[in-house]
Amino acid sequence: MSKSKALHYGAKKKPDYARKQSYRFSRRALLVGGAQAGLFGLLGWRLHQLQIKEASEYRLLSDENRMMVQLAAPSRGSIRDRTGALLAEDKENLRLLVLPAFCKSLPETLDKLSHIVPISRGTRDRIRRAAVRQSGYHPVLVAEGLTWRQFALLNVLAPQIPGLRTDRSAYRKYHHARPMAHLVGYVGMAGKEEVDLDPVMRLPGFRAGRSGVEKTFDEQLRGTPGTQKFEVDSRGRVVRELGATPSTPGKDLVLSIDHHLQTVAQERLKEHRVASVVVLDVETGGILALASTPTFDPNDVVFRVDPKAWGRIARAKDQPLQNRAIRGQYPPGSTFKVVTALAGLHAGVIEPEETMRCPGVYRLGRARFRCWKSHGGGINVHEAIKQSCDVYFYETAKRMGIDHLAAVARHLGLGRIYDCGLPGQKEGIIPDVAWKRTHLMQPWYGGETVIAGIGQGFVSSTPLQLAVMAGRVASGRAVLPKLVLSPDDPDPEWPLLQLDPHHLDIVRRGMIGVVNEPRGTARRSALKIPDVLMAGKTGTSQVVNAYNEHKLSPYKRETHALFVAYAPADKPRYAAACVVEHGGGGSSAAAPIVKDVMTEALLRDAAKSPAFAGTSAETISGQIAVVGDGG
Amino acid sequence: MLFAQAPAVKQDLVKKLLLLNWPFLALVTAIVLVGVAALYSVAGGSFEPWASRQVIRYCVGLALLFAIAFSDIRWWLKWAYPLFLSALVLMALVPLIGVESGGARRWLGFGDLSFQPSEMMKIAVVLAIARYYQWLAPQKIWRPDALIPPLLMIGVPALLALSQPDLGTAALFAIIGAGMMFLAGVSWFYFAGAITGVVVALPHAWEMLHDYQKERVLTFFDPDRDPLGSGYHILQSKIAIGSGGLSGKGFMNGTQAQLNFLPEKHTDFIFTMFSEEMGFVGAIVLLALYLLALVFITFMALRCRSMFAKLVAGGMGLTLFAYVFINVAMVTGLVPVVGVPLPLVSYGGTSMLTMMIGLGFVLNAHVNRRVTFRQAELGGLW
Repeated sequence: MSKSKALHYGAKKKPDYARKQSYRFSRRALLVGGAQAGLFGLLGWRLHQLQIKEASEYRLLSDENRMMVQLAAPSRGSIRDRTGALLAEDKENLRLLVLPAFCKSLPETLDKLSHIVPISRGTRDRIRRAAVRQSGYHPVLVAEGLTWRQFALLNVLAPQIPGLRTDRSAYRKYHHARPMAHLVGYVGMAGKEEVDLDPVMRLPGFRAGRSGVEKTFDEQLRGTPGTQKFEVDSRGRVVRELGATPSTPGKDLVLSIDHHLQTVAQERLKEHRVASVVVLDVETGGILALASTPTFDPNDVVFRVDPKAWGRIARAKDQPLQNRAIRGQYPPGSTFKVVTALAGLHAGVIEPEETMRCPGVYRLGRARFRCWKSHGGGINVHEAIKQSCDVYFYETAKRMGIDHLAAVARHLGLGRIYDCGLPGQKEGIIPDVAWKRTHLMQPWYGGETVIAGIGQGFVSSTPLQLAVMAGRVASGRAVLPKLVLSPDDPDPEWPLLQLDPHHLDIVRRGMIGVVNEPRGTARRSALKIPDVLMAGKTGTSQVVNAYNEHKLSPYKRETHALFVAYAPADKPRYAAACVVEHGGGGSSAAAPIVKDVMTEALLRDAAKSPAFAGTSAETISGQIAVVGDGG
Repeated sequence: MLFAQAPAVKQDLVKKLLLLNWPFLALVTAIVLVGVAALYSVAGGSFEPWASRQVIRYCVGLALLFAIAFSDIRWWLKWAYPLFLSALVLMALVPLIGVESGGARRWLGFGDLSFQPSEMMKIAVVLAIARYYQWLAPQKIWRPDALIPPLLMIGVPALLALSQPDLGTAALFAIIGAGMMFLAGVSWFYFAGAITGVVVALPHAWEMLHDYQKERVLTFFDPDRDPLGSGYHILQSKIAIGSGGLSGKGFMNGTQAQLNFLPEKHTDFIFTMFSEEMGFVGAIVLLALYLLALVFITFMALRCRSMFAKLVAGGMGLTLFAYVFINVAMVTGLVPVVGVPLPLVSYGGTSMLTMMIGLGFVLNAHVNRRVTFRQAELGGLW
């Protein structure tokens, strides 16, 4: 009983007030409800006014000419090489579209159009499906990449074929496409994240750099879109243009690459499954060639993209999309002996004239490290480099310790990424005690120092890094690679290396010996140009170890072939590095490639001729994404 | 005894399920479906990118609605003030650490998530005012000092919204707050006084508006001021609605909307494109659905015993009404463009979730319509 009483709030004391408030709420709620209904009535009256009374007036307005604002995609900046040859440019793409809603009969319209532009059965099906699926006011693409003749004919016929639209958009055309594919990269439709960052990217015909220079310098190349105001009729046809803020085309880029040398390098690599070669100008750091095989044609992925073709490239054997010159990480093998020699001399653990005996094997405790052959006695640093004696460098590395070796390796440019505009570079590994502790959480063992001395074990480098290393040894300066030339940027004066010039000379002489003296490992790859000598160092790095030996295919078990070089020996101008994956010996597979590419570089001597200064006259005006009939 | 208990709990939920206003829920779903169809049409006959996501948001909203509808009303009474205060703190934090988007700072970001504290406030302010009038003894309601707490509850969030700047939300707080005070029984004289005050203060308020807000108001009174600028929206919207005529241009065939004359046609201007394609008949049917929903809410409020439940249902009803009225009046050119979405129909996760939560509270009040509170449960003002 008491419970039911308590349910009535305040019922005991002041029943009147509570009940009064409740009644008042009901009265007012009905009043508010009435007011709401009344205001909805106002909305209804307004709709009646707009849609019934004034409907004919508004229908007229809607049928009459209207204003339409559209964004105009900017044309993307072109990319040229140092000679001014075009590598990538925006080309006009003439397209044919239909607006199904305005066609009297879609099949009939397509029949008429097929007299001018061939339309396959598959395309017809695609158009029919699109017309059913989406609103008839959405244009459906019929054909693109039309010729001017077709385009002109279609525009003449436009008034007789309702629903026909033509427009001019742009597509990206790559020249010297296959050799340049990795460097220049390619463009694609903007991804979801990019669209979220910048809604302009949603604009049809707007493309973003996906890899290579196109990706790194995307913002510069992209330009800013403009707007256009059109007067259009009720069918969306443009009657006239009412003014526009033009789009600003993207800036052009000039690369330090010499497309001729690049093509020669690419051709030269062809005989191998996976290989790459880099040529640098040691004075400026400019990259003259950077080729990687296998390669692909970016034109296949940017225009009239066939998803199957794209899949074929992306999943092909040996991954043609990978740029081996900056993403391939290889044990540098004997090419690293240049570093070990310099580090040993710098640390003072070896004297230039000090000789060692190579019995073909090196003992450290109970471990035995083999040399590739038994060199006998009297091996000084010059002979050790020339004949690539492992024992000499085992001992040198052991004497100085890994930390000193790693410091000099980094000073020579290894184990880092260069800020030269190539995206996706790999860092490689220059190991030291601290590295092993943080990355593998293990202490450093003496045997690991010994094999690091000949560029095996944990040590790994990319071909670009090896080319920089060769360039630094050749010039004695801390050269960094550069890819983009800008007219206002003078060639940099690189700081001198903090190494004794005398030591550098000893190592350089050893490298000259490798190519030019009897018993040099790359004797067969001496240049055929009179009075010009090349200096170099071969490398053959082992892939197999005790753990993976039985797992690998015969191809994968083969050693990597490496060669680093510079020329001319007396006045260095070009440095090069080549890696042939599973190519066998450095002297037989890599050195001949460098010899040929270096010969080409020396004969052309591109570094000496002035670089292309840019085109001011050829600034391309912004293009319009959609221009109605254009009639 | 153990056996006797288990079915009791089950019965409780079954009871609650039976108490739920299912026809009302069907009505809400019908309105949402109209919106999904409109979004399908706006995208040119495609569920991507809007319609499909709207369906997902509705489902999430429905889950929240059920969770709130079946929760204990005493719990909400207890937590109404803390909820309001935390919403207030979050709103105050927005200018300091908020994310700027489109010239206004309205969002708080937590990693990938972001939300608008002002949306949370739309719910919290209703709960807080209802809580206040549940506490206030009915005989004290006429007293001037009893007006101070509710006015602060409305005024502080409204000022914070104005400073963001978000004129639409500030107006919404004022309408909801005033409406609830009226429902609670505040004397007619105060309202008459307030209206007089507003008329006097209007010129001063004008000075406080931002330039773009002034511009919107001015172009509202004279759309030809700038036919390609801010007046463009209203003009194009009126043309689209008007050209729809009695029966409309047909589903997916609205020329004005489909040819991109309309801005924000999938969000704030979705009513425009709907009435262009469905005509006067379609527009009136949609408005009738909303009105029917409001009638349902009013009668649910009337049947509640406690003042808290009555006011929660009434307040949420006012929110729904204010949204619909402002949006439709905006697109038909009756009030300036203030950027208020059409609830349950416009594309947008935040507004959909807020509205579903709000309706969850209406149903919560309805399920708990027989509950009353003892004075002891309420404690003091806090």
